[in-house]
Amino acid sequence: MNMGNKKTDDDMPDFSNVVSGASSKAAETKATYKMYTIVSGDSLSKIAKREYGNAKDWTKIFEANKDVIKDANKIYPGQKIKIPL
Amino acid sequence: MKFITQFSLALLALTLVACSKKEAPPPPPPPPAVAAPAPDLVNVPVSVKQVVLTNSLGADMKAGAPMTTFAPTDTIYAVVETIGSGNASVKAMWTYHKGEKSAQVSETMQELVLAGPTSSEFHISKPDGWPAGDYQVEITVNGASAGIQNFSVK
Repeated sequence: MNMGNKKTDDDMPDFSNVVSGASSKAAETKATYKMYTIVSGDSLSKIAKREYGNAKDWTKIFEANKDVIKDANKIYPGQKIKIPL
Repeated sequence: MKFITQFSLALLALTLVACSKKEAPPPPPPPPAVAAPAPDLVNVPVSVKQVVLTNSLGADMKAGAPMTTFAPTDTIYAVVETIGSGNASVKAMWTYHKGEKSAQVSETMQELVLAGPTSSEFHISKPDGWPAGDYQVEITVNGASAGIQNFSVK
């Protein structure tokens, strides 16, 4: 899965294509998320397209972040959101 | 003569008494040592027992050989062993470090319901290979740091 985060410094490597994941032998796994910091130009549908290959899946991201995103059309650079894996 | 006979009889009687005397019973064995109670790994708040970095994951989520140096093509696993029960948000924050600068590589979180000792894993890979250098992964449980592991890619 694409991290989507822009590199923060020209001297630093680009980690935007890092694939990450997680799993557990726990009694129950409620959810697994990748954390993502919104950058300028992002929208939930763009993030959904990049992460899931389908822009319509923006609702999955919205549902997982209702505590920080009140209006799906209003997200801000620097906001940290959860992307369900 | 009579004296000698009486003396012999007395001696014989003493000998018989001595021989018939039972030996003192051996001392009772010491009571069995009471084993120290095993630490409770279930009914305690969730905490991290250990974190192992490796490039392979076996059956039952067991870590392969612990490693601190990886190849650019490796998938890097952080296997987190926890104890305790309850809800836990376990997070892995992977970062790259170059001198005073650092860059976020990835951050992944699992929301778990734990019921005793549990293995969980976080992994990262990079299709075009990891840049050589120094990296770090920090594991947090419910927002509190549970340890930092440093590793490098060469």
